[in-house]
This record gives sequence, C-alpha cells and structure tokens, in this order.
Amino acid sequence: MPIKSYLAHAFTGKKEELLGALQKINQCEVVPAKNEDVIVLVTDTSNEIEEETLKERIEAIDSLKILSLVSGFNPPQN
Amino acid sequence: MIKSDTNRRSFIKKMAMLSAMTAAASMFPGILFATEQEKGIPKDANLDWKKGPCRFCGVGCGVLVGTENGKAVAVKGDPNCSVNKGLLCVKGYHQIMCIQSKDRLTHALVKKNGRYEKTPLSEALDLVANKMKETIQVHGKDAVAMYTSGQSTIPEGYVASKLMKGAIGTNNLDCNARLCMASAVAGFLTTFGADEPMGCYEDIDHADYFITWGNNMAEMHPVLFSRMLEQKTRRGAKIIDFATRTTRSSTASDRSILFEPQTDLAIANAICYEIIKNGWVNKTFIEKHCNFSKGITNMGYGLEDHYKFSDKPEKIDFESYKEFLKDYSPEKVSKYSKVSVKDIKYLAAIYGDPNKKVVSYWCMGMNQHTRGTWMNNLLYNIHLLTGKISQPGNGPFSLTGQPSACGTAREVGTFTHKLPKGVVTNEKHRRLAAKIWKVPYEQIPSKPTYHATEMFRAVDRGDIKFIWTQATNPLVSLPKTSRYRAGIEQESCFVVVSDVFPRQTSDVADVILPASWHIEKSGLYGNSERRTQHWDKMVEAPGEATPDAWMFIEVAKRLGFGELFPYSKENHVEEIYNEYRQFHEGAKHGMAPLEVLKKESGAIWPYVNGKSTQWRFNAKYDPACTNGEDFHFYGKPDGKAVIWQRPFEEAPEKPNKEYPFWLNTGRVIEHWHTGSMTRRIPVLHQAMPNAYVEFHPDDAKALGIRNGENIKVSSRRGSCVLPASINERGLPTKGQIFVPFFDENMLINDVTLDAFCPISKEPDYKKCAVKVEKV
Amino acid sequence: MKKRIGIISFFVVIFIAFIVIWNYSYQQRFEEAYIPIIVTPTGNFIPSESGMFRRFDDGGLDYSNMPVDENHQRTLKEYYDNRAYHGAPPSIPHPVTIELSIGGNTCIQCHKNGGFVEKFNAYTPITPHPEMVNCRQCHVTKNTKSTFKEFAFAKPKPPLVGKGANNAMQGSPPMIPHQLQMRESCIACHAGPSAPKEIKVTHPERVNCRQCHLPKNNETLKHIDVSTFLRQFDSLNEK
Repeated sequence: MPIKSYLAHAFTGKKEELLGALQKINQCEVVPAKNEDVIVLVTDTSNEIEEETLKERIEAIDSLKILSLVSGFNPPQN
Repeated sequence: MIKSDTNRRSFIKKMAMLSAMTAAASMFPGILFATEQEKGIPKDANLDWKKGPCRFCGVGCGVLVGTENGKAVAVKGDPNCSVNKGLLCVKGYHQIMCIQSKDRLTHALVKKNGRYEKTPLSEALDLVANKMKETIQVHGKDAVAMYTSGQSTIPEGYVASKLMKGAIGTNNLDCNARLCMASAVAGFLTTFGADEPMGCYEDIDHADYFITWGNNMAEMHPVLFSRMLEQKTRRGAKIIDFATRTTRSSTASDRSILFEPQTDLAIANAICYEIIKNGWVNKTFIEKHCNFSKGITNMGYGLEDHYKFSDKPEKIDFESYKEFLKDYSPEKVSKYSKVSVKDIKYLAAIYGDPNKKVVSYWCMGMNQHTRGTWMNNLLYNIHLLTGKISQPGNGPFSLTGQPSACGTAREVGTFTHKLPKGVVTNEKHRRLAAKIWKVPYEQIPSKPTYHATEMFRAVDRGDIKFIWTQATNPLVSLPKTSRYRAGIEQESCFVVVSDVFPRQTSDVADVILPASWHIEKSGLYGNSERRTQHWDKMVEAPGEATPDAWMFIEVAKRLGFGELFPYSKENHVEEIYNEYRQFHEGAKHGMAPLEVLKKESGAIWPYVNGKSTQWRFNAKYDPACTNGEDFHFYGKPDGKAVIWQRPFEEAPEKPNKEYPFWLNTGRVIEHWHTGSMTRRIPVLHQAMPNAYVEFHPDDAKALGIRNGENIKVSSRRGSCVLPASINERGLPTKGQIFVPFFDENMLINDVTLDAFCPISKEPDYKKCAVKVEKV
Repeated sequence: MKKRIGIISFFVVIFIAFIVIWNYSYQQRFEEAYIPIIVTPTGNFIPSESGMFRRFDDGGLDYSNMPVDENHQRTLKEYYDNRAYHGAPPSIPHPVTIELSIGGNTCIQCHKNGGFVEKFNAYTPITPHPEMVNCRQCHVTKNTKSTFKEFAFAKPKPPLVGKGANNAMQGSPPMIPHQLQMRESCIACHAGPSAPKEIKVTHPERVNCRQCHLPKNNETLKHIDVSTFLRQFDSLNEK
C-alpha cells in the first residue's frame, strides 16, 4: 500500500491545466501552491504495480515539466 | 480495526503531504498553498464557464456561469470585468437558481371561460396577432399599446420599437424604466442635452469624497459600495450618506446626515448659495461652459388624468441666479429641512474645496420624486458651479436600477417620445429612423402618447383595448395599484403577458406567453456606466419558452410586416444589433462592434477607434470634443451646459392629523424589484421571507407597537397589513415609515400615490401620507 | 521704593481676589438647589445591523494584512469545547484577575482587540459585543472539572462547515448557519489570529459581509401561506 508524495512542476502558465488533469485521477490528492507553478501531489495506491502504472500515467501529462519524489511510505496491510 | 487503518493511512498521507510542502518551501521561499477553506471548495474542472452580465441591477457586474450537462449549476464573478473585478452580491451568486423553480411558464396559456388552457405557442401568437389586427381595424392604431422593460435586451427593445413606431405607426410604447430612470434622463437632457453619466465606475478609484443622495448603496448597489469601502480603507476616502433613513450605508459611512422628505431641493440650493457666498465658484469654467436658465414653476403633480405639461426655458444671468439663491441661505433652509446649518455648510465645504475630488451618487431617492428632474438639475448645478465634472474622481453619477435601463430603455428608446436616436418630435430623427427601418417617413407619428402611468390610466378609462407587457410586473410595481389592477381586469382590454414566471400581472392576462430567461437566450445589456455587455445563450429554455425578441418578430410577420423583420431565428440577436448600431454611428455615441463585445467583458460607448471613452465632454478623453477647449458639452447646440434655477416646492401630499406619517418605499438587498425572480431563490427567500414596515423607535414607543406586530398602513387610496420592524434593517426618521415593495402578498403600492414629475413623468414612490394602526 | 510698590500691589491683588471670591460665594447662596434634567436625545438610534461594520470602524486593525500564525491557530473543536452548546456563551478558561469585577475593562482590555498571550500560548479571542460590559453576567469561570451529579446533556451538533454545508451551489458564498443576536460583528470571530481556522474568512477586507452572506432559516411569518406565491398555472387545467 504505497503512499508517495511528489512536487509536480508545471510549465509556466499551465498550472491550472495540470491541476485539472491530476484531479481527474482517483488515486491523486493535490494541493496547488498559490504563487508558484508547483503542485503538491500525494498518491495512494494499493500495490506496487498500480503504483507503476499510475506514475506512467502522470508522467504522460503534457503540462507537467518535472515530477520530483519527496517521500514514500509503505504501511503494511494487516 | 478498519477505521484505525483508514485513520492511519490518512495520517501517513498528511505526513507525506507535509514533507512535500516543506520541501517546496525550501525550494521556493514564501510559497503559499491553498488554505483550509479553499480545499473544501469543489474544483470546477468539468464545468463550462461562459461570461455575461448579471441579470439583476444596473451596476452590470460581469458573471461567469458554469454549466454542466446542459444545466447551469454555478455562478462566479468575472475577474476580467472591470465593473466588479470578480465580486458579486448574494443575488448575483444565486441568480440561476430561479429558473429551476417548479412554476416556470413553459407553454403558452390562453384564457378560455375563465380557465387557462395550454396552447401551442404558434397558435397563441396567431391569436395575439389577430387580436392586435382586429383592435387596430376597429379602434385605430392608438388603441394598442406595449409596455416593456429595462430588463429587455437591446435587440428586444429595438424590435419592440420598430414594430410599434415603424411598422404599426403608434407611439404607444413605454416601459417600466419610466418608473425609475425617467427623471435622470430628463435631468441629463435639460442640463447637458445628452443622456447618461459622463463619468464611469473608475471614478471610485480617484475620488476623495463619495456623497450619496438618498441612496442606500450598501444594499442596492452593493458591489459598487464594496469598491467604495475598499477605497475608504485603502486611501482614507470618505463616504457621506445624505438620506431620509438610517440604513446599512449610513452606518458604514463616515457621516450620516438625515433630512426631511422633499427638502433635498432646498438643501441643494443652499449648497449652491454657500459655494457662491464663499467664492468657491470655478469662474473660468462657468464662463466658458455654462448658461443659466429658469423654467416654469408650480407645475402641479400630474394627479389628474390627461395631465399635460411642457417646460418653457428662459435664459437668465448669473446675477439673477444669485438673487434667487438668497432664499436658500443655510439658516433659512435648516428650519424646514431639519438639517443643521453646520451640516449644510459641511456639505458645501466638501463640494467647494478645490483640492478634493467629489463624486455624487444617487438613484431612486432623487429620481422617484415629484420634482425629480429639478433635483437632478440642482445636483448638476453644484458640480458645474465648482467645475467638478467629467474628470477622473469628480462628477455627478446617476445610478440605474435595471440591468439595461440604460442600454435598452434609454439608448434604444422604448419610451413613447423616443426613437433609437433622438425623439419623435424631431423631424430629422424621424427621417433617420424611417431610413434605417425602411418604412415611409410619414409612418412614424410625431406626437408622444402615453407615458407609463397615463398608459395604465388609459387602460382603466378604456382608451387602450390591447396591451402587451414583457419582463415587467406593473401590477406590483405601479404606484396606486389599487386603481390600475381594477382597471386592467376589465373586459375592455385584451392583455398579453410575456413572462418567465406567473406573477401578479399574468394573473389578469388573456394570453400568457412563455419567455426565455436571461441565459436561455443571447442578448446585450447596457449598464449605468454606458457599458454594453454581450452574452451567448448558455442553456436551453424549458418547453416552448422563446426569447421575447423572436415572439415580437413572429407576431410582426403575422401582422404582414415580414419584410421589415428579415431576421433569422438562430442569429437574430447579431443581425438586430448590427442594424441598431447604424443609429449611433459617430464619435458621440458609437457602439462597439459585436466581435469586441463577444471577446471582452463589455465596452463603454462612445466607442471610437477601438477605444472606450471613459469621461465624456472632457477633451483629454473624449474625441467628440471639438471646440478646442478643455471641456465641450456637445449635447447642447452652443456647447454649454445649463445651470437651472429650480426652487423648492412642497410634496403633493404631506402628513396631516388624519394621515400623520410619511410613507417611503424601496428595496432590500435580498430581493430585486417585485421579487418574482429572487423570491424563487430559496437562499434569498429564507433570509427575507416577507415585507415589513419600519418605524422609528420613538414613534413605535408612542404608538405602543412592538416588533413583529401586524400593522395596517393605509392612505386615501388603499391599505396593506405588514409586520412591524423596529431597529432592524433600517431606521426611518421620526414621522416616517418605510416598506419594501418586493412582496406580492403585501402590496404596498396599493397605498402609494401616483403623482409624478411633470417633466419626466416619473412617479414618486417615496412620499405620501399614511396612517397606521395595529390589527 | 520699588520693594514697597511691590508689596503694596501684592496686597492689592490679594484684596481684589478676596472681594471677587466673597462676592461669588455671596451670590451663590441665592441660587436654588436643582438637579439638571437631561433630555434623552432622540434620533440618534442606530440600526442593530450596523454591528457588521463596527469593528472595521473603531478597531483600527488591518485585517487584510494580518499574518496567519499557523502554530497558534484555534480549531473549531476548541471553540465549541469551551461552550455548553452551539450558541451558548463561552466560559472563561483561564484564571481572572479581579473576581470582584463585573468584567468591563478587566476583560475588555484583552478581549476587545486581542493579541498573543505568552502565558496561555494562544491568541485572545475577540468579543463581537465589546459594548456589553457586564461580562460576568453570562461568562463564568471554570473552576472544577467535576459535575455535581451524574450528568447527561445531549450537546446538539453545531452547524457543519466546509464543502457544500451552507452554500446553495458549488462555489457560491456560504450562508450564515447561526443566529446573529449579539454576534452582528462578523469579523470578531471570522478574522484575525484568534479566529478558528475552519471558519476564518479569506477576504476580511470586503467589510460588507452581508452583501453576499445571508442568515439561513429565517422564520417565515405564521399567518402567511408562502406557497401562495408559487402559483401553479398548469395544475388548473391538467388535472
């Protein structure tokens, strides 16, 4: 059950577009910065494979410049 | 166990988010994230936002309407619109909710044997056209009348005018703007010779003082008031509220000055007296740009049917004007106006100070006045004497109450005496209209017929046999509805009502036509600051609801005027606007082309060489100024504005022993006009479910009236029962009561007086004598 | 010589002063004792709704530029924990300086304009009604955590805040879910560092709050049937 947080950098002026795209993905939680082209992104997936596909999906977004990983957790399932 | 797991997961998620935020903060110092409150607001990712003007008041805020699956679901302020910069008032935010009301008119209804029968629209329009034709054949052209609205769009007003004046050939066309803006129009025309304010809303960003004359802007023009408050906190601009009632605006102002009803005439003259006495007159300005005139006094009040009046202006000189003002020293005026000498001098000193920029705002307090035209003239006198006019932050600014009172009623001219350009009495103007409309010039009659009040008097007398009303509710909004309701209910008149909701007026209709609401059609509105705004159709209208303009065109076709109305159903708004623009070509009133209006959140006319003219008559901003001076009042043939000598005259009906109170009527922030839209918006209805009668606490105490008790308010004309309100929303002065008129269950206009300003024909809803008793 | 003139004129001054004072007191004994009648001024009433603007006028605080102190924000839970139920007057969660006082200046000196208090590590909540000076009439201290007997009072749920709780459409301004009596001054609780973070307004500089936010659930008059204004035309002929 990996939970990862990223900083998603958008191309200049394309933050809204990126935000919209990320919001459409179920596993994503986003908090946009008000004054920079940066969005805090938290992903919550049920297993490693889902995690991989999700990451590919996010990286395919046009308005995304850089996606940098900040932290990752993998709480065990009980 | 499951719960603790989710808790833990959400905790880890929060941790993950926090660490990302910390990382971001180290990369971008000073970064800000959306706050707690904003997180909760749903993101409008899949909403489709379209721009347009607000449906309600004359401020003309830009709104963005969000639609989803063909339904309007959200509204926000348009941040690109310079009027409101993204802010709206509570009515604006919830406006689209009214169209979901279950009692929407979706089909034409025809009265048969006292019952309304659902009828196909084309059949109902056939009936309307046949009835119209028949009435014209039997009783003549002047037996049919149309009563439209300042809420009609520009194309709707234009088609109405073309149909009545051009095609049929009668001047029996008037509109509800007669009840709210006529005095402002007459004021502008008599003083400047050109209608509508010279300044714009940007004045707010420059002025040092805002003086509001009988105008509760905090409730009636809240978005503009917010802009004023912003300037107050940011720059220390001062707001002075001059009124007959303590309102929200008074309490938010820096100073509130109360006066006795009707004495505003005397006080305006007293201010002029002080300005001249203290040498605050801008001598070069008045020498170059002003004339002095006087008109007929003791004009009467239009209380009797067939009342006629026309003013005879007579030029005077500055000396005789000065002589006239001697009766209006602050000491003399203070005796009957109940305003202290100090306060009058204070007001005069603000206007007189050459280093302070002053904007005066007014709306219904000055316009709905039996001397409304005079009152408008007098305020212009103050600004002309001091030369504080047509400059950023300096000037008189007449506010409007309806979204297109300026755009449609005043500019298109849906008044009996008006044409899209000029007046029917002027041959040149008639010839221009005939040319553009492609009708023979003789077709347009040269004499004005009925203004609003007189039109309904004519219905009552039986002179008008057919009347068609659109987008207005006269049986709630006319003064003295007690007479006009009985009048219109008579068999002698065939009544057609086009509307969105059933309301008091549609109750008496013979045919009810279902109209599309605001965003269910394309259209154009024009607001108080001469800004024309366009919007595209955003959602489909329910059932057979159709735009008013298209219903006029359909009837015109049925009357045999098809070739005069060659518009297409899909594109008629554009085609009509492009035809209408021809009337205003030129530097004095050029309208922006449709492509510009579609792209931008409105443009201010005169729109010359791709630019809005923000301050008219000022050579620096207005390319129409041609006299080589700093200012040019080109509305008048000699380029000079007129300072009018207008005396104080008493109100037609004053409180006496039997009827000891003044009755003042008006609005509240929650409801707009007769409330047929706003009362169908649950949020607004819940906040203000019914009308009330406001007392001054001293009067209430003397009469033993407590809050919420039922009070019968009666005049010589009718009565109305309402709950008392003491020390709540507002406080009338002692000896005065206040009632909002939005409530169709408590018709205060049964009580009001149908006296009007003889020049503008606008009734006075703010003053009549009443008595009150507990029931 | 000079000295003598000085002494003489000094005595002359004293003598004149004596005569003046004696005369004044002589005159005064003829005056009758009276209590001045102060006429209650009328016409100076202010509508109760003016409370909305009050803090902007006399607080002198720049709400729009107030920094947010993330570490010392109150939460709505803390706010409600301090009162018996939603709408009840909050109790005083700290020791009071003068137990004898009715409140007045003792309370107002902190609770009118607020500010950070080191001792409690918190910002002082601002009262929406600083003109009511008998504070202790409604606000009592909390001196014990126990109850007299077993106690079961169902605390009613406070109104919800946040997404969709009080607004009619998405993104439209939320309505006011509480009563306004004595709470006319919106920004006392909805702005500034002591405002609970969930209900902190993002735009305190707007001032005219009730331009967009209206009271919810205003009671309709009992004797009037509201349904009458929803006239159903179709029902006349469709049934």
